[in-house]
Amino acid sequence: MIKFENVGFRYDEDSPDVIKNVNFTLEPGSYHFLTGPSGAGKTSLITLMYLGNIPTEGKITMFGNDIAKTKREDLFALRQRIGVIFQDFRLLPHLSAFDNVALPLRILERPDKEINSHVSELLDWVGLGKHKQSLPKKLSGGQQQRVAIARAVIDRPKLLLADEPTGNLDDEIGFRLMGLFEQLNRMGTTIVIATHNQQIIEQFGHPNLRLMNGTVIQDDKETRAQKIRHVF
Amino acid sequence: MEPLFKMTKKQEHKKFDMFSKRLETAKEKFKKIDVESTLLPKAVLEGSPLSVIVNTLRNKHYDLPLNKGDDTRFIITLIALMTFLGVLALSGTFALHSMTNKWSSGLENKVTIEIAIQSKNGHILSQETILKETKDLYASLSKNPIVKSIEILENDEIQDLISPWIGNNLNLGEIALPGLLAVELRKSDAKDLEALRNDINTISKHAHLETHHEWLSDLINFTDTLRTLAFIITLIVGTITIVAIAIAVRTRLSIHHNEVELLHHMGATDNYIAKQFQRHALILSLKGALLGTALGIMVTYSLTLLSRNSGTDLIPVLQVSFFGFLTILLVPFLISFITILTSHVTVLRSLAKMP
Repeated sequence: MIKFENVGFRYDEDSPDVIKNVNFTLEPGSYHFLTGPSGAGKTSLITLMYLGNIPTEGKITMFGNDIAKTKREDLFALRQRIGVIFQDFRLLPHLSAFDNVALPLRILERPDKEINSHVSELLDWVGLGKHKQSLPKKLSGGQQQRVAIARAVIDRPKLLLADEPTGNLDDEIGFRLMGLFEQLNRMGTTIVIATHNQQIIEQFGHPNLRLMNGTVIQDDKETRAQKIRHVF
Repeated sequence: MEPLFKMTKKQEHKKFDMFSKRLETAKEKFKKIDVESTLLPKAVLEGSPLSVIVNTLRNKHYDLPLNKGDDTRFIITLIALMTFLGVLALSGTFALHSMTNKWSSGLENKVTIEIAIQSKNGHILSQETILKETKDLYASLSKNPIVKSIEILENDEIQDLISPWIGNNLNLGEIALPGLLAVELRKSDAKDLEALRNDINTISKHAHLETHHEWLSDLINFTDTLRTLAFIITLIVGTITIVAIAIAVRTRLSIHHNEVELLHHMGATDNYIAKQFQRHALILSLKGALLGTALGIMVTYSLTLLSRNSGTDLIPVLQVSFFGFLTILLVPFLISFITILTSHVTVLRSLAKMP
């Protein structure tokens, strides 16, 4: 599904590499945590994964397409298969919670009836049924994060990328949302979650992409098994 | 004339086949044009301008807060002013056109013969001489085969002609008047006019032939210049409108860069984003253009009334034909169509720079 080969990225020619020589492969339906200290380049890596930036070197293959050789017009269709939960939520401030969540479906020009039923159902599920028409500024940090999560998963993406998705949530809602991710993963969605939350990493025990000094170290199955043995 | 090379039936068939093949290739090529990848909106390529406007308005959803900007009023006012100027220029063009038509119509094959008050060597002719020569000319030219009709202009008719310049309180007894003959010819090519001129000269030394073309051509040239000027003004106004819309759209794009980028990351195509800008620009331009057109029509109508009631024939009556009026009514829709195209192209060009 996703293959990074010797990928490097820097914001401009004079700046240092944010990530360099990154190699990993994510199989369809896999579930990974992306960990690493602050400033290690987790957000930059996620940005490359949702095609928000183009790598300065190396090759990214997504859904079987070499990104460097993919036409700009075809990138839109690839992006439509990716759901992203941004660390800063990036909700549109002038749109209600309902309209923010409906955005991916509107982009896909789904019928209004489908939009209304799906969005309402999901907002109820994330506990925001009573806040459908509220603007983001009227919602708490946790509520905004739930809107962002609902927006990312509304169209059941093939790839879900989440940058610290449980950062502003209390434990109960955090675990409930992790349950939603598990459910989506079982339905075939490939998931990458950037997190610092050790409790979640240990509890769910998915393989880890560790970012160290701008480079990714991908846990193999044996390392993961050792970790789980160590935890229990 | 016989063709140099005559084709045999076989050659003709071969040529026809070749032509058909080329036509098919051209059709195939046309089919392959990627509508999505062109800068023009798909609707523009496939529908009429009116359907483009209606479809743009129908798409009511805004993801971007485009209608909440402070520059909205400025853009509406600017477009209204530009449209107002455009409508005035257009009205002027149509009024000048109908004025020229009015001047020219009915003047074909018509000439005037004038027996001047003053002879070539500077002597003032007596009224009796002028009257005698006028009557002689009338009698002679009535029998001329190229003359269809001839008429002596009486003093009261001459007074009507010159009253716009010297008023109606004229005492004709105090002023020497020329002799005037209004002549309608059966045809008026250069040869006929030359023959007529010779005939006139044999009868009267003081008469000369005036074709209306001589004085009318200068006037028509002048009105043509004014019309060209009005057309240039319309073009300038159109260009300013396009530039204003393009700047407004670019400003909006830059203000909402983050939102646009987010939509892009979510998979929104350039066309999806462009549609929202199109609708916003269309609503602003429709508001401005309708206002400007209404003002323009009001001013044109007022000028028409003023020219009609001026009380003097020196000021020509400004009149816009029915066709001209219909064209003016189309101005807001034309501006709206231009707006859609401008905003679409501007947005696509800017978005193309995004990854």
